[in-house]
Amino acid sequence: MRTATRLTGLMLRRSTDANRASLALPVVAFAVVTALTLTVLGGARFFFTIEGPTAPLYQSLAALAVTLLLIPLLTLCGSAARLSARRRDQHLSTLRLLGAPTRTITTMTVLESTVLAAAGTLLGVLGHLALAPLLGLLTFHGERLGAGHILLGVSGTLLCLVGLILMASVSALVGLRGVVVSPLGVRTRQSAPRLSWARAVAVVAALGAGMLAAQALRIDQGTLSIVVGLAVSFGLTMAVLNLVGPWVLGVVARRQVRRAGGRFTAERLLAARTVLDNPRAAWRQVSGVALTSFVAVFAGVGLAFTNVLAAGGSTPEDDLLLADLRTGIALTLVISFVTVAASVAVNQGADILERRELFTSLERIGMPLDGMDRARRLAVLSPLRVVALGSAAAAALLVLPLTGTVLLTDPLSLGTIAALLAAGIAVVWVALRATSPLLARVVADA
Amino acid sequence: MHSTVAAPPVLTAVAVAKSYGPTVALAGVSLQIAAAESVAVMGASGSGKTTLLHCLAGIIEPDAGAVTLAGPQGALRVDTLGPEGRSRLRRQHYGFVFQQGLLLPELTALENVALPLLLDGVDRHRAEAEAAHWLAQLGLTGMEERRPGQLSGGQHQRVAVARAQVGSPSVVFADEPTGALDSRTSEQVVTALLQTTTGAGRSLVVVTHDQRVAAVCDRVLELSDGLIVNEHVNRRRAA
Repeated sequence: MRTATRLTGLMLRRSTDANRASLALPVVAFAVVTALTLTVLGGARFFFTIEGPTAPLYQSLAALAVTLLLIPLLTLCGSAARLSARRRDQHLSTLRLLGAPTRTITTMTVLESTVLAAAGTLLGVLGHLALAPLLGLLTFHGERLGAGHILLGVSGTLLCLVGLILMASVSALVGLRGVVVSPLGVRTRQSAPRLSWARAVAVVAALGAGMLAAQALRIDQGTLSIVVGLAVSFGLTMAVLNLVGPWVLGVVARRQVRRAGGRFTAERLLAARTVLDNPRAAWRQVSGVALTSFVAVFAGVGLAFTNVLAAGGSTPEDDLLLADLRTGIALTLVISFVTVAASVAVNQGADILERRELFTSLERIGMPLDGMDRARRLAVLSPLRVVALGSAAAAALLVLPLTGTVLLTDPLSLGTIAALLAAGIAVVWVALRATSPLLARVVADA
Repeated sequence: MHSTVAAPPVLTAVAVAKSYGPTVALAGVSLQIAAAESVAVMGASGSGKTTLLHCLAGIIEPDAGAVTLAGPQGALRVDTLGPEGRSRLRRQHYGFVFQQGLLLPELTALENVALPLLLDGVDRHRAEAEAAHWLAQLGLTGMEERRPGQLSGGQHQRVAVARAQVGSPSVVFADEPTGALDSRTSEQVVTALLQTTTGAGRSLVVVTHDQRVAAVCDRVLELSDGLIVNEHVNRRRAA
């Protein structure tokens, strides 16, 4: 234990500039995850203090929003943990080759993950404290939320922090298997991983089950039932999309590599091969958009639904509910966009640092910086199109039995969906552009 | 010492200097490389070998001095080119083989070799046909779809040699191309490198610690503290 602690301390202290950047990325990612998770949970808690006939509806909607937001936040948390694990791979492989026992390596992994996650989560708490007064200005159920209703409280915060740090340690331990089993295996890529077609069967089966569940819920047209139906369908489909997404991206990339023709540039070849090399990593970079596309469909239909309700002659209570629905949808979207932006920026930053050698090689053989940047952007934007449209289509399929075609094809609904899909893609594009200076620096330092 | 050759030079360096902070890597090196000539650059670690290669190849900008390439369209001042111009120069006139090969792990052997042509806008079919031809020349038929991780050290370097030749460069630069190989594989790689460069009328500049590699080159330059301190022409090669 003492050896592991001393070695971990040494490696953290003796980091080079580039290593420091790769240390900072997981810390930033953990900070974003913590700030948003605490804020989402704190905000959701407020709805469980509401009383009256509409309380169950508010609580169901809050639960739906939490489900919508926590999945990508936890995915980002996993990415952050993997980032810190990747940073260690080379050091640990070398130590393993030098004969370090498994126990030392395992302890070092847990220690470094825990230190980075703890630093990030502490920063995240500060972020949560800064966000609370801002979000406290929002009005729900006719009253201003107030910072006090957003803050999660000491015990809730501590529980949340422990959970996130634990998740980081477990993810790092899982990522360590390669080092422990094969000291040379970590940095040796021998063949592109293939993902099973069984994943496609799983998604079709789940979509079918989701649609049947939604159809069954339609028998009872109560709003609460619709919300529950949406939550169940969403959770199920998101889980299955996470299973099938990498496989679909791999199939598309393989087709792109095989496709011949004059338009097949070096940038396109590199982009397609990058996706094919690790479809799971490619999926993780854009999986946040799967969520925003889903939310886009729900938001579009939700807005059209509130319009229909408002047009049908509403009471002041209905007006209050509709206003709250719109605020809730907007808030959920803003938080999911921030999550997507953070996820893309953090993953891209790590990717650039990790593939430093590749960019050096490209630079040597005369690929201009613009070309490298374009290839890197294509490797994200090409899967992004597949993910955005695929997820929106899946969400539309699930919403259809609940709401019917009228609400889904309402101009307000279609307009909102299109605008939000465009906004999701724009957020990713901006995050990609934001990491271009890092690529320029890495190439200049090569 | 000023290194010269009798044949018309394809690459000329005059008083090239480069420092990294207080460390002087090159203290004013002048040399000429003739067409179809192979030159080995030797010296202890930190003598400035790799920095010289990088200055000649347009990878880094020298602090002072001039590097001129006698290109097909006339003389080209390498040291005055901007980053874009240097990228184009490396793509169109130079080929590279490094110690680790620096092949892209994501791409197959065929794609790695075709990459310089694709970067230059050549049609994919043509680029891959040319790449397949060079892989065959280097005895790598059947390896086209393998990725770098699936190749042996020697195969890896031969793919790098093929990649260096595919764009028909004027000069090929090799930085410790046999550094990670056993003696038998080293010999195969050096033979392949010489056959495909000087054997085809191209010049070769190779930075090496390996006396056996230097022995098969036309000329050997020895660097110490950023200066050429010794130069000799290999009798066998000269004959």
